[in-house]
Amino acid sequence: MTDKKMKYREALTLAMSEAMEDSRTMILGQGITDFKGMWGTTLGLSQKHPGRVIETPLSEDAVAGICIGLSLNGMYPINTHIRADFGLLIFNQLINLASKYRYMFGGLFEVPLLFRMVIGRSWGQGAQHSQSLQSLLGHIPGLVVLMPSNPQSVLQCYRHAVKKHRGPVVIFEHRLMYELEFEHNQKIESANPFDSRIDRPGKDVTIVATSIMALEASRAAEYLSKKGIEVEVIDLHSISNPNHELIFNSVKKTGRLLVADTSWIPYGVAAEISRIIAGKDPSVLKKPIKSLGMQPAPCPTAKALEDLYYPDVRDIVSDVASLLDKDIELPPKQSMTDFYKHFKGPF
Amino acid sequence: MEKNNSTYEKYFYESLRIRLVEEKIIELYPSDKIQSPVHLSIGQESVAVTLCDHLKKNDWLFINYRGHACYLAKGGPLPELFAELYGKKTGLSKGKAGSMHLADPANGTMGASAVVGSTISHAVGAALASKIRGEDRIFVSIFGDGATEQGVYHESLNFASLHNLPVLFVCENNELAVHTTLEERQSYSVTPHAEQYNIKTFKGKDSTDFMGLGAIFSEALGEVRVNRRPVLVEVYTCRYKEHVGPGEDYDNGYRSEADINKWKIKDPLIIDKILVEKFTPKIKDEIDKAVEFAESSPYPNIDDLLSDVV
Repeated sequence: MTDKKMKYREALTLAMSEAMEDSRTMILGQGITDFKGMWGTTLGLSQKHPGRVIETPLSEDAVAGICIGLSLNGMYPINTHIRADFGLLIFNQLINLASKYRYMFGGLFEVPLLFRMVIGRSWGQGAQHSQSLQSLLGHIPGLVVLMPSNPQSVLQCYRHAVKKHRGPVVIFEHRLMYELEFEHNQKIESANPFDSRIDRPGKDVTIVATSIMALEASRAAEYLSKKGIEVEVIDLHSISNPNHELIFNSVKKTGRLLVADTSWIPYGVAAEISRIIAGKDPSVLKKPIKSLGMQPAPCPTAKALEDLYYPDVRDIVSDVASLLDKDIELPPKQSMTDFYKHFKGPF
Repeated sequence: MEKNNSTYEKYFYESLRIRLVEEKIIELYPSDKIQSPVHLSIGQESVAVTLCDHLKKNDWLFINYRGHACYLAKGGPLPELFAELYGKKTGLSKGKAGSMHLADPANGTMGASAVVGSTISHAVGAALASKIRGEDRIFVSIFGDGATEQGVYHESLNFASLHNLPVLFVCENNELAVHTTLEERQSYSVTPHAEQYNIKTFKGKDSTDFMGLGAIFSEALGEVRVNRRPVLVEVYTCRYKEHVGPGEDYDNGYRSEADINKWKIKDPLIIDKILVEKFTPKIKDEIDKAVEFAESSPYPNIDDLLSDVV
């Protein structure tokens, strides 16, 4: 990778365009051949690859099953869901069929295929356009569930899913990151594109974060660094197969752990990461584990409430201070949307 | 229909074979050697047999949890079927599938799901893949009348018609979903409903008419092969046994023995005693050998437990 800048959305566009170069790849979904082309990420592909980019009826259940049939018959389908919430309509195919096809039939079949699910946030996305459903799927054996947090991760894991992995993969993209521009500053590409990775080394506190919360964690780490605190940020990336050693070794080093997830806390990512530590050796912890996530309610539409609903950089700094028993001046409360200023409505 | 010909005898033999296999399962069931819920096809065998007679090996058939008949009719090996039912490693799916998830891709039998209607769309997707590659194969999804109540059935008909896909949809209408009658479940009729999707339909009024049924599948599959469009066949048939398990269930109050007997009195496998007598010894011999294979096969072990997960 060079040091050129790239937007999250541009990485997705490139990933889709690269994937389509293989004549077995197909993209199926709603709003992928229209003039918006899923925020540009599928734009022009149906003209370039006629017959392999298919605008579907509003039939999520059947379309997911059609993707399984395509996969069984040698194609590599990518099924898009412009909101993860709509993806709930494919859970029968995803959980009862795709995830089990290989095992349930004793290895007679493989179903390599990919589901893109977009998490919405802000501009009043409300209760049904904003859910982060990673924990529900991370629970299911047979699925690879990923949450890439930057363009480099997007490119690596989409390439790997399309070219190498022989089973179903679900990737949660975060809509709020689409227009963010990133520098390719990861020094080493992860050996395994489906693995967790250290975004920033540190010695005082470990933050394990998912998706856009990895960005917030890095922002908090930057702020804390100026106060003399070195935070180690682990970008969890893989929900289904978090790197236990990487996480445990970091916590062993720092003795302090904060988990920052994009979803609800109960039975979620924080619970799983805590289980990893508790199961290996909880005595490495100098303080009880902290966790951040959405408030325990459906997502409200009103901005005044939404700003209170999601954790932000101030909450992360506050939790780190508490883990270190330090009095740290907190950054001002500012909603992520206001900070990034990229996501404007209506959609 | 004329009965004294080789096609009739072939249909008869294959149907009888399935029936005797399932009667063997009934016989073995109390021993607990088969610890898998069995949904028997007894009474419905001829649908699978006459359908598969018109399919080539690489025409894929997507089956369901009542799948013994299709698995066998499509050419699935009998010893491996019993091994699968016994939960033995030599089953085609190493004992992980049991009765409800039979599959035999080598013969074009695609995996069965126990969630009603959930592989109908798989047939549609597989057909789309072949269409894109310009192949001349065809694809079949077979399901019961209950499956037509699922949303995914409607979605699949729409997609298959919209994209001109070579799929034959086969509805085995035994008028029961577990214990619930058609009247309690459906406000529509299967064939006129499918025609609304611009899908041509055929109706087989009686699964005991082997030759009539064979003719319908011949014509319907011919349409799919030539026109590369979906077609639907609905066949009226009768499930003699309980929904799941080896028993009768006419004494449970929701259906009468007389209703089942209306079918049995015209069932060739019951009334054509000469052919039954002629074919039974050979079939029983094959079954005994298959059961012996299952009995003597090893169980899967700890090494198999976590294989083929991801």
